[in-house]
Amino acid sequence: MFAVPDAPIVAVLVEFARRLRRAGMAVGSGEVLTYCSAMATLNPADLIDLYWAGRSTLVTRREQIPVYDRVFRAFFLGEPDGEADPVRPVVRAFATMASVLQIPATELGQEDREDHRAQLGLMASSVDILRDKAFAACTPEELAALRRIMATMRLAPPRRRTRRLRPARVGRRPDPRRTVREMMRRHGELDALRWRARRRRPRRLVLILDVSGSMADYSRNLVQFAHSATRAATSVEVFCFGTRLTRITPALRRRNTDDAMERAAKAVVDWEGGTRIGDSLTTFVRDWGRRGICRGGIVVICSDGLDRGDPAILANAMQRLSRLCHTIVWLNPHVGELASRPSGHRGESVERPRTLGMMVAEPYVDLLLSGHDLRSLEEFAERLPSLA
Amino acid sequence: MGAFESVAQLTQALRDGGYLADRGLATTLYVGISLDRPILIEGEVGVGKTEVAKTLATVLGRQLIRLQCYEGIDTNQALYEWDYARQMLYIRALSQRELAADESVEKLFGPRFLLERPLLEAVRAGQQAVLLIDEIDRADDEFEAFLLELLSDFQITVPEVGTIRAESPPLVILTSNRTRELHDALKRRCLYHWVDYPEPEREVAIVLTRAPGVSEAMTRKVVAAVNRLRSLDLAKPPGVAETIDWVRTLTVLGSSDLDSRTVDETLGAVIKERDDLDLARRNLDRIAQ
Repeated sequence: MFAVPDAPIVAVLVEFARRLRRAGMAVGSGEVLTYCSAMATLNPADLIDLYWAGRSTLVTRREQIPVYDRVFRAFFLGEPDGEADPVRPVVRAFATMASVLQIPATELGQEDREDHRAQLGLMASSVDILRDKAFAACTPEELAALRRIMATMRLAPPRRRTRRLRPARVGRRPDPRRTVREMMRRHGELDALRWRARRRRPRRLVLILDVSGSMADYSRNLVQFAHSATRAATSVEVFCFGTRLTRITPALRRRNTDDAMERAAKAVVDWEGGTRIGDSLTTFVRDWGRRGICRGGIVVICSDGLDRGDPAILANAMQRLSRLCHTIVWLNPHVGELASRPSGHRGESVERPRTLGMMVAEPYVDLLLSGHDLRSLEEFAERLPSLA
Repeated sequence: MGAFESVAQLTQALRDGGYLADRGLATTLYVGISLDRPILIEGEVGVGKTEVAKTLATVLGRQLIRLQCYEGIDTNQALYEWDYARQMLYIRALSQRELAADESVEKLFGPRFLLERPLLEAVRAGQQAVLLIDEIDRADDEFEAFLLELLSDFQITVPEVGTIRAESPPLVILTSNRTRELHDALKRRCLYHWVDYPEPEREVAIVLTRAPGVSEAMTRKVVAAVNRLRSLDLAKPPGVAETIDWVRTLTVLGSSDLDSRTVDETLGAVIKERDDLDLARRNLDRIAQ
């Protein structure tokens, strides 16, 4: 019905689409066809028509609009293309965020100790010993072994009732559809009502991982754990933070572990830097939480609570978070390190004082676990289904 | 071709219907109507996404069929449902002999007992309808997948009745508040338009169209104040709907000036989030100016 317009303009539009693709936008030939058909109903000589028809047919999300604008200006108006860098989908998550002051880490990673242990080369240590060994104390080889175990872990978040109904033997709502069918089968006799019950679904799991300097010994393992989690449970969202928040869920969506880890590493810009838990959680609540990503879900924060920001901001963020989600679990590796010693209990030990961040956040935390070794992560996985 | 000859004509028609569309939205709508493509409109809350569909239906002289999405919406609520109460009565009224007959069953699951829900209604109405699928982001993935199928060929199969097909598809408008990202497959079926906050000039015009009887001078002040509010780092910046509410509130109160005291007293009309209220109160002088 709509004749595709004269060949020259089609060639121009196709070339424009090709430029968009090169700038990182996913433009299929179907969309280009729609664009051409759209231009057939408009005036191809009118730049504004060209612009808007293209924008409504080739752009599928808001974030692409600046890219589209740039390529459009460069292509049709001959303006210099300011940005040569194609958009990377992984950095999109924080593209709109204000830049945060980077504070260099003051705590050094315990490299020396690790190197020392590595030389001992405990290659043959059995899995059970490994289970109770803090990640920080493991050699790279041991960590590799642990990661293999971790990859086989399965997470089952607790379930919640949804508003969808399914047929059930006992339920609270009648199922007229099945009842009528049954009536027909019994020649109009209604012997018993059929019922429906609410369907149940796993709650959403949101992991927020601290990858700052003070967590350097654990963060890689936690990201690894998150990768296993994304594969094990249905809906998992993963975020990382040091001084700023990054969503790494898309990066982790790879089967291959190394591949996923590499993509995640690229997505996060502040590995082993300073920590701003309060600001990061505020960003999370504001940009993601309100959009319903954690509503009714289980939020797992993995951090040592060493916050360099204002405690009031952290308290505020935790309070808002606790109102948005169902359960907050805090995994603090340092708690575990203390608890495993006879004198220590939940950070009340004299050896390492409870961090200010932890003190501020704790009232809003429903469950505090350690997560410093494999056994504690397994404990978390075990307790997860019963958190409902 | 649709009912309009050009984008300008559509814009004028919408204006006559009380909706001020900018060039971008009008072009998207025009292309959508011309190519029979669904239109996905995204934007912040309160920028007039739902209103587009309503006005368009009025302007085109078509019936507006609205499907409000929510979590757990399923085919029974969106497509069709059998009128079970009547079915049961009907079965009761049949004699033994009639029950065994095939035509009784056919009647029982025939058009007489079929309750149309919005989507079926829209497919039946075809070109006579504007189908508004509101807040699609609130429905779950399963529903989105189902919708994808419907939007591609506008036919609905009721096992007992057969396939119902739209002779010419209705005009479909989907809206989303972006509480979650929609699937690409669904987006690819649609034309996409992002509705931004309007320019101050246009916003003044919109308020004056929507709330006749308010003073223009006051409207200008309010629009300027709302724009200053939007520049604050609010979790939920006020939309055009809030601007209209605010102007109306001030008109009812008989305020003639927008000083910081008046702003303080009426802030609840524009900002509905406690943290945002705190932030705005701290900047009262800047907002009132």
